[in-house]
Amino acid sequence: MSDDKALILNLQSKNETALGLIYDKYSAALYGVIIRICKDEDAAKNILQDTFMTIWEKSDSYDFDKGRFYTWAYRIARNKTLNFLRKSDKLIQVEDLSVYKDRTEDETDNLDHLKLKGTIKRLEAHHQRAIELVYFNGLTHREAHEEMNVPLGTFKSYIKQALKQLQQSYLKLVTFLMVLIEVMR
Amino acid sequence: MDKTYILDNGFLERYVLGELDANEKQQVSDALRQYPELKSHLEAIELSFEKLAFENAIDAPNSLKNEVLQKISNASSKPISIAPQKSLRSYFNLAASIAALLFIGSIYMFTQLNATKKRLEVVEQENSKLNSNLENLNNDLAETNKWYVTINDPDVQKYVLTGNALMPEATVISYVNNIDKSVVINTKYLPELDDEHDYQMWADVKGEMINMGVIDKTKAMLAMNYIANAESLNITIEPAGGNDHPTVSNLITNVYLN
Repeated sequence: MSDDKALILNLQSKNETALGLIYDKYSAALYGVIIRICKDEDAAKNILQDTFMTIWEKSDSYDFDKGRFYTWAYRIARNKTLNFLRKSDKLIQVEDLSVYKDRTEDETDNLDHLKLKGTIKRLEAHHQRAIELVYFNGLTHREAHEEMNVPLGTFKSYIKQALKQLQQSYLKLVTFLMVLIEVMR
Repeated sequence: MDKTYILDNGFLERYVLGELDANEKQQVSDALRQYPELKSHLEAIELSFEKLAFENAIDAPNSLKNEVLQKISNASSKPISIAPQKSLRSYFNLAASIAALLFIGSIYMFTQLNATKKRLEVVEQENSKLNSNLENLNNDLAETNKWYVTINDPDVQKYVLTGNALMPEATVISYVNNIDKSVVINTKYLPELDDEHDYQMWADVKGEMINMGVIDKTKAMLAMNYIANAESLNITIEPAGGNDHPTVSNLITNVYLN
């Protein structure tokens, strides 16, 4: 997962093709975050557009030394989504998916595809929940520990442990792939 | 902010998630610059979240990308003008106007150049005319000076030859210098002759008429041959180009020398 420095530099010099390529690479990951936070497809589309407008306009303010490009873009998407929810007063619903239980079949199906997949599923349930709350629901640590009803310190350690396990499983995956590649050669 | 404090309190995680306020963000940024090992912790957290996001990516509708690109290409041309095509056209108009102005300008300059060249030619011609005039004047002056010096010499004796009955209107002034042995005459008051005839001057030496030369009527002042021991100066009308012997019947004036 390289950071495509050249591509980002092109973006910063206002190259529209570069924005197209950045969109291809990051839009789905960002859209996954946005739609999971707001749970509203129409709003998510607008917010994603808005996010890329900001990525385009503010690309100058991205600093390679302060972190990865995706992290920068994620923060923009997250802030925009949370701002949208604050404005439309939907924030209350977000924390509790049970609100959606009474909705139509269609929407429930829709919510199904928002369920998390991949490596996170291998984590313990409370680690999964902690990560989901802060990363895919846009809650702060403070909001999330109340949501989970555990002390803040405990919650922080959940996040740390979860990230560590994710990192290790990625490393295992990478090692496995490398071994696989070696074997196949 | 202390390194351990940052690590223990989940500041890096919250930094990545964008939960920190401006002040905390600045402190974490400073610490990251200060402790390189924090940077690798940060990178690990970022990569984990990033991987998570990519694993849970959801494709947005295809049309969205075009809408975004459309918007940014509209937005990027906004600072110049609201309508990009219009602005392009106005740029073409502007460029065309400039080109036209330059073209008209160069035609004007070319015309001006030609006019100036012509004027310069005229001035040059006038200048050369003036120069030649000046040269003539200088020559005239030099000649006048020369004659002036000649006739004002204290050794010069002035004799006025007055026309006889044959040509009473004729007058010739002659200046004779016996020391320098020179004779100069002023022919200004000598009437014009036809093309067939010339005035000729003679010196009388002991009864013999000796040729002093044909008088060139184109010159106002004229040097004649000096003849020693001349008793009188005489002018006759002779066939054009002069004669060996004076035609005495055509004598128009004479003067005796002292």
